[in-house]
Amino acid sequence: MKDKMPPLSRRKFLKTSLAAAAISAGAGSPLVKSLVPRAHASGARPPGQITSHYTACDMCFNRCGMIARVQNGVITKIDPNPAFLKSRGMLCARGNAATKHIYDPDRLKYPLRRAGKRGEGKWERISWEEALDYTAEKLLEIGEKYTRCGVMFIPGSDMQSQFVNRFAEVFGSYNITSHETLCLLSKNRAYLDTIGEVPYPDVYYSKYIIVAGANPFEAFITPDTMDFFEARKNGCKIIVLDPRFTKTAAMADEWYQIKPGTDMAFFLALCHVIAKEELYEAEGCCPVNTYGFEEFFLHIRKYTPEWAEKECGIPAQDIARIAREIAAAAPAAMVYPGRRTSDYEDSTQIRRAMAITNALLNNFDKPGGLLAIREVGVKTPYYDVPWYDDNPFDRVEAGLVPGLIDHEGSFQLMREAIISGEPYPIKGWFNFKTNFMQTAANRNKTIEMIDHLEFIVNIDIAMTDTAWYSDVVLPGASFLERKDPVSALQGSSACACAVFRDPVVPEMFESRSPFWICKELSKRMGLADSFDFTIDEYRRQQVDGLEGAMEAMENMGVYYNPSKTYGIYAGSPLKTLTGVKEIFNQRYEASGVDPMPVYRRPKQPAENQFRLVVGRTAFFTHSNTNNELLTEFMEENTLNIHPEPATRMGLSDGDLVEVKSKAGQGRLRLEFTEGIEKQTVYTATGFGALSPEMSLVHNKGASISELLEDYHDEISGNMAMHETFVSIRKVA
Amino acid sequence: MKKKYCMVIDSSVCIDCKGCMVSCKVQHKVPRGRWRNWIKHTEPDFTMGKHTFVHFQPGNCMQCDNPTCVYACPSGATYKDEETGIVHINEGLCIGCGNCVVACPYGARYRHPEKRVPDKCDFCRDRLDMGLLPACVDTCPTKARTFGDMNDPDSEVSRLLRDRETVRVVSKPVDTEPNLFYMAGVMPLDWPGPVEYPAAYRAMTGFVNPLVKIAVGLSGLGVAAMFLKQIFTSDETSEDDSREEV
Repeated sequence: MKDKMPPLSRRKFLKTSLAAAAISAGAGSPLVKSLVPRAHASGARPPGQITSHYTACDMCFNRCGMIARVQNGVITKIDPNPAFLKSRGMLCARGNAATKHIYDPDRLKYPLRRAGKRGEGKWERISWEEALDYTAEKLLEIGEKYTRCGVMFIPGSDMQSQFVNRFAEVFGSYNITSHETLCLLSKNRAYLDTIGEVPYPDVYYSKYIIVAGANPFEAFITPDTMDFFEARKNGCKIIVLDPRFTKTAAMADEWYQIKPGTDMAFFLALCHVIAKEELYEAEGCCPVNTYGFEEFFLHIRKYTPEWAEKECGIPAQDIARIAREIAAAAPAAMVYPGRRTSDYEDSTQIRRAMAITNALLNNFDKPGGLLAIREVGVKTPYYDVPWYDDNPFDRVEAGLVPGLIDHEGSFQLMREAIISGEPYPIKGWFNFKTNFMQTAANRNKTIEMIDHLEFIVNIDIAMTDTAWYSDVVLPGASFLERKDPVSALQGSSACACAVFRDPVVPEMFESRSPFWICKELSKRMGLADSFDFTIDEYRRQQVDGLEGAMEAMENMGVYYNPSKTYGIYAGSPLKTLTGVKEIFNQRYEASGVDPMPVYRRPKQPAENQFRLVVGRTAFFTHSNTNNELLTEFMEENTLNIHPEPATRMGLSDGDLVEVKSKAGQGRLRLEFTEGIEKQTVYTATGFGALSPEMSLVHNKGASISELLEDYHDEISGNMAMHETFVSIRKVA
Repeated sequence: MKKKYCMVIDSSVCIDCKGCMVSCKVQHKVPRGRWRNWIKHTEPDFTMGKHTFVHFQPGNCMQCDNPTCVYACPSGATYKDEETGIVHINEGLCIGCGNCVVACPYGARYRHPEKRVPDKCDFCRDRLDMGLLPACVDTCPTKARTFGDMNDPDSEVSRLLRDRETVRVVSKPVDTEPNLFYMAGVMPLDWPGPVEYPAAYRAMTGFVNPLVKIAVGLSGLGVAAMFLKQIFTSDETSEDDSREEV
């Protein structure tokens, strides 16, 4: 190279290469990867040219647009894609830390097979050939012995999850469940059963927002998190209800330290004031365009602000004032639907109360309110699902709760079914990038479930706790190394868009994508026809008919569909049973569920007991804590506690305590804060890993999965993580 | 025309997400436990009830016009670039005395544990050359930081400085004339420490005598030695230097 090229000064060289990088960042040509120079064999490294590559983040589930900078074949920096409207051209701490996600010393390098007992940590290295042959053989064996539904599939929430899902379906199992069953299904259920779909909040144009059971300034949702500030600049008022003084609370116009689990009381009282004072829009909303408004009017007579004050601790005059203010701002006003709603056994009903409040505000399909699903136009390529005669009639946990969501189910109820073996046995587990051992309440029960399984195969990029208890561990490629299909995203009113990923750098070690793994397995299982395509062919099918989509994604990192944002329904019926907003739900009534939310006082912790609530920070996502750049902000989780009860118990700030529930116990250091309700304690997710190969979080703090008892939402089967009471004892 | 880079920060939108800190850390390979930038915050006063708040305040080297770090540097390694207004460190000239670290009232400098020289924010000079914004500005979710040239009347920072009331966070004993401007109402304001010049330095500057010149001369020798050392030890630099001559 030296001989052929005119010698360049370092400065000139840098200038040329950086100009190229800048051009690619601006105009967005997919600067060819072949330009990345290989490291010199001589050892003297020239300052490599910096190339820029569009991709979409995978450090959480928002899929923000990013530009990876590559030098000498190494990703040295990741910046936001300024043209990416959904993320408002930003990248949070986690996205920036993706360089340590790919270059993590804890990454899995080659396929492993368990050589000792589960959880013992003895592994043998095997070839891909052997790993795939063995996995295919075990899956077929279980399919033969227990029917195809005898394998549970957890496809993850990844841009390649659709391939794992497809593999599960062609293999023949209905028992597919997801991380979402620990997350937002109760909220989805509530909105599906009120307005017929799961809406997107139009925070940007809103004038009044109540945030309850959500913490969007720490648990980022794009573009909502950023849009709160744009809205505030335009005069939006933000009211936060939270037992904890979160960062969202810290920046709100008003923060109310609500008693945990009493949000429904607040919202029923809010509805009471809106209904009684006739603050709703009589023309377009109530009673027309709603079902059951009259019944509801009678139903909420007893739910006065004075009554609610006694339940939730928020002064009656504030409830009444907030009701009047939000009604005056409607329809550009909302109760923020939130994200993770896996908190109480009546989570769906709590969110129903919020959804009904939104219905009274008449904000659906309107600017500043809740948006209907916009058209992106990305298609799901069709595939045949074979019929297996001996398969059971339905998924294993069907009918255990009245509102199970199709294709999602409930991990918690499946776990029970696997342990009991009823109604039929499940003996296999195919897992991709989901770490229930760290995230699902009652880890000991997950281990008990594992004891009932004959075969577990796990694809992940590191030895998570779930991988640690698996039989075959397959090293997955990180999102920066993969070629991914097109993913459709809705960024509220900002955009309806589509993205894909091309590999920024080649797959490291022996890591492989789930697509390749599913394809290879399907070949070995007589299902090759189902994966007889390349990603390029798949993408073309996905964007078929979307003019310019492929080019836009290549040149700008994103395609925008200028589809209709507001007034999508334009007078046509909603996707509910009655075609209007259902304040009274007839299906609930038919299945013996309260057709309108009925408040029941949450059970209270005994003296010297505390309700354990969990959450996360802006720099961690669930169990993805094993990242050197992020643990620097928090090396282990602590237990937040109010100084008053703690001092009464003779505890001091910083004390190491044993936290004990009926499910398990763990050790945490106390962190005093007045910003927490007195009978509530809080800890963050992602610590206390069992796997020593999660080197930064192993033996650090305690895992929420160890401490939390397993309760579930009575309607959706979603996990309920805020129902656990713990006792605290100082460790001598 | 000479540039004068500055930042205008609307700290009222900072949510303490740490995005700027990680972005900076990756860009400059800042070692664990050290930082080129920060987010300060107020303590909540819970007697305020529903109006209890916390104010977060992002910051970094303020590229001062009255740079105490530059005055404290005996070798001329730390200097203010007249073309950009950025305070830089010429690592080749640094003798590793650490005077500049304590002379900064903002704690903006740390001593690099391996390189044994101070390190601090340089407004991402390399990224500016690429036509990119500083890493912290680029990544900020709520766009709390605005960066630009205050000598350019059409720049966004000039517009903000004209239209909005701003304040600077200054050390009580010495106004270092920082070039980080905060929207009025920013908190906390009382955190900058004193400006500390080492005793030996004070003695020397007190004399203002040939001793200082001798010291500078000696450090010059050190510089020459470092230069020679670099020629003989670092093939990367020497190769580039030779290319420079072609």
